[in-house]
Amino acid sequence: MSVEADLMTRYCDGDAGAFRDLYARVAPRLVGYLQRMCGERATAEDLVQQTFLKVHGARSAYVRGADPVPWMFAIARRTFLDEARRRKRARVNVSRGEGDLPEVPAAMDGSPLADAKPAAADPELVTAALDALSRLPPAQREAIILTKMSGKSIAEAAAITGATAGAMKLRAHRAYVALRRALAAIGAGGGP
Amino acid sequence: MTDRPRAPASANGEPAADGVDRRVEESLSALSTEGGAAPAMGSALIRELARLQPATTRLPRREWAAVLGLSLFYATGILAWMGVRDDLDRIPPIWLIGIGAVWLAGFLAITWLVLVPPRGQVLPRWRWAAAAGALAAAFFITAGLLRPESLTETGTTYPATISAVVGHGPGCLRWGITVAAVPVLLTALAVRGAIPVGSRWLAAAIGAAGGSLGGLTLHLHCPISERFHIGLVHGGLVIVTAAIAALVARVGESRRRKP
Repeated sequence: MSVEADLMTRYCDGDAGAFRDLYARVAPRLVGYLQRMCGERATAEDLVQQTFLKVHGARSAYVRGADPVPWMFAIARRTFLDEARRRKRARVNVSRGEGDLPEVPAAMDGSPLADAKPAAADPELVTAALDALSRLPPAQREAIILTKMSGKSIAEAAAITGATAGAMKLRAHRAYVALRRALAAIGAGGGP
Repeated sequence: MTDRPRAPASANGEPAADGVDRRVEESLSALSTEGGAAPAMGSALIRELARLQPATTRLPRREWAAVLGLSLFYATGILAWMGVRDDLDRIPPIWLIGIGAVWLAGFLAITWLVLVPPRGQVLPRWRWAAAAGALAAAFFITAGLLRPESLTETGTTYPATISAVVGHGPGCLRWGITVAAVPVLLTALAVRGAIPVGSRWLAAAIGAAGGSLGGLTLHLHCPISERFHIGLVHGGLVIVTAAIAALVARVGESRRRKP
């Protein structure tokens, strides 16, 4: 049983501490995923709160021993789509502002985490990648966010989005090719 | 976690590991959504957590057995009330049991796919369930339309005109939908909360499962042996119940989204 499955089981048994631990493990991943999807950190955090409230309301639908993370991602995605529809956004843009560059993860006291990943060496590269991402069709953008940025396998990403594994693989590949093309232009001296 | 998208291969088939791919990987790594700190819990979540109570979680196989037991009990009751077909003793047993078993198998299989997720997962197999529902509908309609003439000797028949088929349809559809309603409701109640994706397709599959049980009841009740009636009305019942369930799910979703 995975750590998340164990925490979810204890949470369903009424252990509030297990919920907090589960939240601490899953919420950052959901924030990251939703931030890439909606482009706003504040909105992403708000959507994560809504997602966890929905998870809380639907916890009786949990199957003991099952990995809750894909289910939580699927709920987060549904929440995002509902919110996007509610705001009548025809297209949700990935942000490109300087403030949206990768943040350095920190502990609760604000000190940097020991295993924090280094930020990208080249901000121009990251900005170009974000720019290229924003121009991708939403399904391709979501595919590369899930598989390359959120660490989900093709099968998990397919389960979260409701696509087939083949379609997910194709979308991720096309997105990668588009990104590659955009960043090649940067390397050749041209702008995106 | 081995099936991640890979970098496209170069022309000679070797993995393209040039500077561009390195830049793509670097930028994706920099944009990785993993490893950040959790945002603070909102007040609503803290409030919910303060009054946290143990929750009964899903036991999919047990739910499946319960849905089957209750649905079959209900269908048997309806059948007892409607009465069995008057030519029951003249129907070849192999046909009576065989066709009945296929209707029942449709109900069992689709309900299983809806209620029992793959091992280690919460999300139901909605795609397989929907495919099984579509397959069941196609099979029952086709099997009814291609029914051998020899089987029409025992039951009531009528000229295969559009008006006759339409005229005899509503009664069977009404009873079929009545039978389907309870298993659809029970299955939907069991699976609610676990379907953030594919909910309409899952609803259609649930409807198709209910329609299959309705078809089984009609198979044992309706004496009409005209092939268009069997194919289009009894078989078509699966599509009708699937469409109704999907429509109800859609309306429910729309209402839920309204602020």
